[in-house]
Amino acid sequence: MDAVEKANTERQRRWVKDKKVGEGTYAVVYQGREASTGRKVAIKKIKVGQFKDGLDMSAIREVKYLRELKHENVIELLDVFSSKTNLNLVLEFLDSDLEMIVKDRALVFLPADIKSWMAMTFRGLEFCHRNFVLHRDLKPNNLLIASNGVLKIADFGLARDYADPGYKMTCQVITRWYRPPELLFGSRYYSSAVDIWSVGCIFAELMLRIPYLPGESDMDQLKTIFRALGTPTEEEWPGHTKLPDYVPVGQFPKPAMRDLFTAASADTLNLLSKCLIYEPRKRITAREALTHPYFFALPYPTFPSKLPKCSNQFSARPLEEVDGNVEMNASGPGVKARSLKRKLTPDEVEDRRSIARRLDFSKHTPGS
Amino acid sequence: MSVAPANDIAPSNKKLLLYEASTQFKNWRYSGERLVHIRATLNKAAVAAIRVKIETDEPGSSKDVFFLTPDDEVLLVKLYITKIGQLCGFFRFPEEVEATAVTYLKRFYLQNTVMDWHPKNVMLTALFLASKTTNNPISLESYTSHIPKTVASDVLDLEFLVAQSLGFEFAVWHAHRALWGIWLDIQNLSDSMQGLTPEVYDAALNHVRASRLTDAELIYTPSQIALAAISLVLPDITSQWVATKQLNGSSGLANVLDDIKAMISTHGLTPDVESVREVDRRLKLCKNPEKVVGSRAYLTRKREEEMIAEEKRNKKLQKGNVEQDPFGNPLRQRKGLVDYDDDDDDDD
Repeated sequence: MDAVEKANTERQRRWVKDKKVGEGTYAVVYQGREASTGRKVAIKKIKVGQFKDGLDMSAIREVKYLRELKHENVIELLDVFSSKTNLNLVLEFLDSDLEMIVKDRALVFLPADIKSWMAMTFRGLEFCHRNFVLHRDLKPNNLLIASNGVLKIADFGLARDYADPGYKMTCQVITRWYRPPELLFGSRYYSSAVDIWSVGCIFAELMLRIPYLPGESDMDQLKTIFRALGTPTEEEWPGHTKLPDYVPVGQFPKPAMRDLFTAASADTLNLLSKCLIYEPRKRITAREALTHPYFFALPYPTFPSKLPKCSNQFSARPLEEVDGNVEMNASGPGVKARSLKRKLTPDEVEDRRSIARRLDFSKHTPGS
Repeated sequence: MSVAPANDIAPSNKKLLLYEASTQFKNWRYSGERLVHIRATLNKAAVAAIRVKIETDEPGSSKDVFFLTPDDEVLLVKLYITKIGQLCGFFRFPEEVEATAVTYLKRFYLQNTVMDWHPKNVMLTALFLASKTTNNPISLESYTSHIPKTVASDVLDLEFLVAQSLGFEFAVWHAHRALWGIWLDIQNLSDSMQGLTPEVYDAALNHVRASRLTDAELIYTPSQIALAAISLVLPDITSQWVATKQLNGSSGLANVLDDIKAMISTHGLTPDVESVREVDRRLKLCKNPEKVVGSRAYLTRKREEEMIAEEKRNKKLQKGNVEQDPFGNPLRQRKGLVDYDDDDDDDD
């Protein structure tokens, strides 16, 4: 056997798969452990043989970035090995994710808890951005929570390096509800600000306990955003009407955030609104956010181990992050991003709609 | 992305530079002596193993074989580095794809030998993989259809081997990026603007490209290589720039630059085709017979692999028999050429 193959086999032997915890179209996730220490791990097995173009882009991106990024608030890739036609990623084992926590009605969030999750998210994201990596799919179920409460950014299947100025990137990224308006308008030149918008949506979701901007289609997403934040003016966001896919979707007045986030402090609303500034260049950066007064004001962030925890941990985490893959039937360079439909069962969708309806937007959007 | 992007984050000395946190910094830097040693060791082991195999195939036949030396191997790889450049020109891949593929090819041959894996094939896989890891993917079909005598399996069969040999570390820091950073920064020197024409930049870039034919990137940092390249074109402005960066304190920079410059001018040349052809002729006689389709050693190995697979299947079948459905097992549907459901739990 060749030395390289032998090394691969040795790596493979270091890890034991215990039980299947989820299965998607392209991947199976196992709970497992390190053979020598018993340390719990998650093993994500990607069935590469299915792709006619070999190793697929989301697996490559995930491996490429997680190999380089080592940070307390970024999921750790412990090892990679191949077996037959499969690629196996050994990841640190994480109990739950922020979506499960948000949905768990038994849990009560204190402002200090939200501050703690936000601080960890911004810290992990600042590290990614400092390394010139855009995540491009931030949402609550990609923010995983370790058993000690520490939050870790996961799923780098859509991540990429910042493009150089003047080079295009695809706008078909980020799950719709967390997608910033510049992408909805088809901007092909964008920055780390796209991730910040997503964080703003997550921030709001932590306070509301339901998705903040749940659009039903890309068009409806813009309407939903404008209804919540007011239609941007040329002054607020110069040039946005010149973006490739710009369409007028109606004039909505800017409601006061305070009307919706009734319990939030002034610092909280200030940071939130800075994450949701229309003009991407004016949107707060992860680094600036970390020094925002919100994080220095009382109450101080809850210590991670004291944060609310899910009762039913990791029972049936959906595998949507490994479902989508880049289609590579394009003839030239360029990526077609995967479809970004958030997969919900019809029941779930209905459930969310009814919650959303209960939130009375009409109060502060008389124009709708 | 400039040469030292971390500097503006924290001036504290303790903080790791971004480059120093990279897998390139941690796992892919060597001394010149170390490279010689690695290549000699790989070469020696391969020769010994292949000699045994040739002997089993046909006793007494190995004594007339002139095996490749480590230098022969380097020479052959170098020729295929130049082929990567040609293919990238053809596909109009950005510079990053080419540079990454070249790095992959070099790193591959620090784990493997030319006598096992011919660079002609590895090069194709390395380039295809690099197009994906740098976010410039094209379909395999359009890739292979534009390369003569190449089919999909020529590229895909080695993809795992190449990825494994790279330790699945796909991110590469390149000298041409550093060069761009220095080029932008050098324009901040008050009196330097006159000489900084696009031609000067292109000349420096060509030196960086020449450095890809050498071991420079396995020994020095991207910014050191970029600095050497630009100082070949603009010696005075470069030393002025270095002075403003107070890099002179880091003793040895001048030596490093001289080393790299010497490497570029002596080794950064396209190899002489005749000498490579001679190496390739000898390689035909000394390559690992296990990898030559149809040879006795190849068939033996295949047979062994089959037997192991067969044994595994039988074991699984027995396990399956225990829980047989009394009404008969459901018919198995094969979804494609390969049944992927088959290997969910047998590869631990």
